[in-house]
Amino acid sequence: MIDLGGLYDLVGRALPVECMQARFMQQALVGLVMLAPMCAAMGVQVVNFRMAFFSDAISHSAFAGVALGLILATDVRLTMIGLALLIGLGIMAVGRRVNISVDTVIGVFFSAVVAFGLAVVSRDRSVARDLQRFLYGDILTVGAGEILAIAALFVALMTFQALAYNRLLYLGLNPTLASAHRVRVRAYQYTYAALLSLVVIFSVGAVGVLLVTAMLIVPAAAARNFARSAGGMFWWAMLVSITSAIAGLLISAQSWARTATGATIILVATAWFILSAVTSVLRRR
Amino acid sequence: MTSSAAAAVIFENVSVVREGVRILEGVSAAIPRGSATAIIGPNGAGKTTLLLALLGNLDYSGVIRVLAPREDRAVRLGYVPQRLEFDRGMPLTVMEMMVMGRQRRPLWLGIRPALKQQAAAMLASVKAEHLAARRLGALSGGELQRVLLALALQENPDILILDEPAAGVDIGGESLLCELLEQLRRQRGFTQIMVTHDLSLVTAHATDVICLNRRVRGQGPVATTLNERVLEATFGIHLGLADICKKNGLHNHSQDKEASHD
Repeated sequence: MIDLGGLYDLVGRALPVECMQARFMQQALVGLVMLAPMCAAMGVQVVNFRMAFFSDAISHSAFAGVALGLILATDVRLTMIGLALLIGLGIMAVGRRVNISVDTVIGVFFSAVVAFGLAVVSRDRSVARDLQRFLYGDILTVGAGEILAIAALFVALMTFQALAYNRLLYLGLNPTLASAHRVRVRAYQYTYAALLSLVVIFSVGAVGVLLVTAMLIVPAAAARNFARSAGGMFWWAMLVSITSAIAGLLISAQSWARTATGATIILVATAWFILSAVTSVLRRR
Repeated sequence: MTSSAAAAVIFENVSVVREGVRILEGVSAAIPRGSATAIIGPNGAGKTTLLLALLGNLDYSGVIRVLAPREDRAVRLGYVPQRLEFDRGMPLTVMEMMVMGRQRRPLWLGIRPALKQQAAAMLASVKAEHLAARRLGALSGGELQRVLLALALQENPDILILDEPAAGVDIGGESLLCELLEQLRRQRGFTQIMVTHDLSLVTAHATDVICLNRRVRGQGPVATTLNERVLEATFGIHLGLADICKKNGLHNHSQDKEASHD
């Protein structure tokens, strides 16, 4: 396995504060500066496509993923990823065909995965603690293997963003217009849904089921207020997400705070959002 | 059909049923190459549905043949939707919109100067060069329509499809848009298909017409096709003057149970 020790030491030297000298903090930071921009980049389209509810359904499928892993007696991480992909692509497929609102389709999937998870857990009380871990998440316990998995996803996802950003924007503007002008709408929609599912399920371990959508939405929403162009929105989303992740991690480790890392990151991002909303109002005057 | 040799699009027995309602019934028509063909009919007559079928955006029975002017490449379409439904808060400039379908390099790494120049020229051809830096959501109805026309023209289309191009445009802007289209069509030689319920637009700016009310009620060159009998079959009411037609076009007839499909 690739040794990331050197990278962690570098993080410790770059941020010469006491709390950053612990290896688990350095690891958490490396994980976060990859997860946060991934979420923010995908969030730009989540906001443009109005897919917040979609990502909620994926994150809640984590419960069902864990339950499925227990039933099949296999690694729950594999069942979580598999189920997330299945649900994400399933929603896309049904939503494209059925003549009812996409919200309704997602609502049905959402309810089904949550109910399945609860049903399995209710049979076995000892699992409840496992599930709680996913409810709140904990970036401080990510292992070296997970960091490498996140890094692989980071590379794949940023490549996709670099290649597909403009076309996804076309889809976000209007899919009928995009398809008339020879954009391969279906291919982009499915690829996007699959990658979004992966990002969401990877982020569940870090910030928990309840806050994953916030990681996607809040930086992108702030970026939308700050930016004057679609290109600018991407960079604003990067800035807000990365600064929020680093500041959130540092604050959560202070003795006066001692808060959950995921929640603290989202709070910093929310502060960014409030600032952006004020900026946007002032600009319109 | 003798005209099929010079046709750009041929509809053969096209029917569309949605939610149990027959929207189009056995539509057979030909659109001559290089023409400005107007598809007219009252609201709910299935005009937009026919366009969406042509764009391949909904299921239909029958055959729609789109004939390539040259055999070495696929037909290129340009589409100007009726009222673009989009998120007006989206930070997207007109210039970014113009290049997002043509440039692979993501917009956050900048726009290639060559593409920027081409897009600016295209915007200038629809008299919208001053809008390049504006946000798409901040445009007026007429400005948006012109910018969308530039976007469609940029595809260098063989067939330009316009759905109610004058909707949301003020009266001055409407004739400006139509004159612009006529001029561009002469320069570039594309086939223009335009859906409208406005008869005055047809008589002034179209060469050919397809009268639609669930079925084809008449088709051919404007001068020989638009007679009282055809108009009555299309709009369902006896009509004399074009401006009355316009009024009655908005007035729905009882057989058009379905809502207008936009």
